[in-house]
Amino acid sequence: MPVPRIVEAYVGEYASGKSECAINRALELLNEKEMVTLADLDFVEPFYTLRPIREELKAKGLNVIAWTTGETLGFGETGSVVRPDMRWVLSNPGHVIMDVGYGVKGSKALNLVEGSWQDPDLQILVVVNTARPMTASVEDIVDYVKALGPVHGLINNSHLGDETVVGFVQEGARVVSRAASMLGLPLVATCADEGLKEDLGEVDVTGTQVRYLKRHMQRTFW
Amino acid sequence: MAEKPIQGEKRVFMTGNEVVAWGALAAQADIMYGYPITPQNEIMHYWSRLAPKHGKKFLQTEDEISAGFTTIGGTIIGARAFTGTSGPGNTLMQEPMSMAEMYRVPAVFIIQQRGGPSTATVIYSQQEVTLTTFGGNGEGYRIVYSTATHQELFDYTIKAFNTAWKHRFPTFVLADGYQAKMREPLTIYDPEAKGIEMVPTVPTLGKEGVPGVDRPPVHMTNTRNTEEELYEVVKGLQAAYEEMWPEVEEHEAVECEDAEIIIVCHGVVTRSARVAVSQLREAGIKAGYFRPITLRPFPVEPMKQSIKGAKQLLMVESAQGQLARLVKDSIYGSTIPIEPMFRPGIGISSEEIVEKVQSLIK
Amino acid sequence: MEFDISMPKCWRRETKGHKFCPGCGHGLVLKALGLAIDELQIQDRVVFGCDIGCSLLAYDFFNVDTMQTHHGRTTPVITGIKRARPDRIGIAYMGDGGGYAIGSQHLVNAAARNERITAILVNNTVYGMTGGQMAPTTLPGMKTETSPYGREISQTGYPTQGPEMVAAITREGAYVARGTVGKLSQLKNMIKKALETQIAGTGFSFVEALSTCPTNWSTNAKDTWSFLEDEMTKYFKVGELKVPAKEE
Repeated sequence: MPVPRIVEAYVGEYASGKSECAINRALELLNEKEMVTLADLDFVEPFYTLRPIREELKAKGLNVIAWTTGETLGFGETGSVVRPDMRWVLSNPGHVIMDVGYGVKGSKALNLVEGSWQDPDLQILVVVNTARPMTASVEDIVDYVKALGPVHGLINNSHLGDETVVGFVQEGARVVSRAASMLGLPLVATCADEGLKEDLGEVDVTGTQVRYLKRHMQRTFW
Repeated sequence: MAEKPIQGEKRVFMTGNEVVAWGALAAQADIMYGYPITPQNEIMHYWSRLAPKHGKKFLQTEDEISAGFTTIGGTIIGARAFTGTSGPGNTLMQEPMSMAEMYRVPAVFIIQQRGGPSTATVIYSQQEVTLTTFGGNGEGYRIVYSTATHQELFDYTIKAFNTAWKHRFPTFVLADGYQAKMREPLTIYDPEAKGIEMVPTVPTLGKEGVPGVDRPPVHMTNTRNTEEELYEVVKGLQAAYEEMWPEVEEHEAVECEDAEIIIVCHGVVTRSARVAVSQLREAGIKAGYFRPITLRPFPVEPMKQSIKGAKQLLMVESAQGQLARLVKDSIYGSTIPIEPMFRPGIGISSEEIVEKVQSLIK
Repeated sequence: MEFDISMPKCWRRETKGHKFCPGCGHGLVLKALGLAIDELQIQDRVVFGCDIGCSLLAYDFFNVDTMQTHHGRTTPVITGIKRARPDRIGIAYMGDGGGYAIGSQHLVNAAARNERITAILVNNTVYGMTGGQMAPTTLPGMKTETSPYGREISQTGYPTQGPEMVAAITREGAYVARGTVGKLSQLKNMIKKALETQIAGTGFSFVEALSTCPTNWSTNAKDTWSFLEDEMTKYFKVGELKVPAKEE
């Protein structure tokens, strides 16, 4: 049976964990399809991007569309230059995972991607970390997601970096799940550091599947 | 009156620039003036997102000169006002900063250092120490806090407003591109809940009443005719600066009491020094670190005390000796050898410090 | 013999006679401004900022709160004040160098942002305080210390047309005019309209005042006046360039 094509765009607040979720998702999907493309579409003051680990991810078999640090002149000042292969990312065969940066324009960044709004498979997923004060409460999350434009689902990625405990992830799941139902959107997954697997289990308190993250982004600063 | 932006306290996860915006909000800042430059942009991004929700204001000016002077305007009329900049923007802003020194305008400036000279990198450095402490034409009548963690960024952003308004010298929070952009957990809080009272702001210009009728007019000029006149003014500033010095100076001295080698650093490099010292101690090496938190006024006496028993100092900074100049000036008379570890514009890891110390001990 | 010394009420008598040279136009511009402040009864709300250059000599001129700033920086200081305290009436007082050269970016952007402040710019075609150098407004062929053979237009361009520029970049609701100390009552009315524009909050307000500098022009009274009236007006047309629409 053919595996359906997966096209996902990860959007969300600064430091919500978009890139980590996107990388892990792309690597996970590598087992399903021959070709998985991971694109870095972070255009607002990008740092903590895929850039520093592009080659490493390529070596794992991903088709990575991103700048590397050395190629970008001046980072924040001219680093938000769109490459042609970013614009045409959806023409890649196989699964496509897009890491879309933060910024007030939200999912409108996908206007820069050719054919994004016509793509029947496109799922725009908002990564939410309730440790971020602007997305800490149900009401704030609802307001925030509404302002993003078209969105298909939420991902709970509530964490406090190395201080994260299971209870925090679970409480985040409750909050994000309530926000999701108010928005009429699914809570697609909870993401958590793989170190929490033993205590957290396969599903969170809301019955949502937990995706475990290997952390790559710690090494990607600037 | 808008609801308090932060109720009680809360553990959160964010980037350094956001921390500054939240710190200013917690400190009840009224208005930010600013001009885009990397790596301080998200201070403006987040302030301009948060401001209208809390009855605060933001003005994007035409350049950093204007950002500095509008901040002075806002402050002098009694608003708790601030701005943020970096690198070439910091250079441009020295003009208003020097006016703030002369008029003792309690404006708050956030500096996120980037690489220099010139445009260089937008990433990171500690190369704006000299500029931030002694830039401008004058004597450096400023207060400069150098932070190392997100918690400190929050704490000292709040403190900067209070120090500025209490002592009436322009006050700076000096961080860098790493701190601006990295993310880590911290506790944000309502200062009142921690027993921190915000020093009330007072307008210098535009008080109530008809000037010349109900009260004398306020006529501010910083122009002096004679050398002697200026000398009196500067001596007055100097005296006021020296008076507040002991109250304002801050430092951190860790494991210095019995240390044979003391690492001297500031800002984000402190994080590496901290790890290095604990590893060195585990390895049986008597190491400690001394870190000025206020680069101006420099904690001179605490530093002299802390290094008294040591055999050697290791100066570690992401600049070619900008901190070292402040240190040498402060410990004048001491014959302790100083080993430089100057890495202009580049990060310094704990491993590198450990390695360096081990090579010195041998 | 008794003189009837007619001074605007908001002038500070303790600081008169003023500090400007005999024949300087600043005193006249400040008289027009003082009368406008009196008529509008806003002395308690005005915050006055003056530049470096001769305008700095106005720092204690009025019984209004005043801040002398740096060369060209009065516009942003007053902008900062007005943004923080919109109930105050901010006046930025500057010379042609402050407004059209070193502080031109501030004037242009304050105008473009429609800052609710009033900028008054004194155009006397020279840098006075620094000793008579060429200004953006120096007339073609005019000798100054830095154009000793006369301003060479092919090298240094034409005199800056300030109000024309400001009128071009402001929107409806702004007030822009060029007056002259040669027509004081008209100048006063222009400044008054500028302040009314600020009070109404409809937009930026800007008045350039053609003024005199006999010291750096090296002119006697008669020649001073004819330079102002005959020479300067060849390049600088007096009149209103932009007036907010009357509310019905």
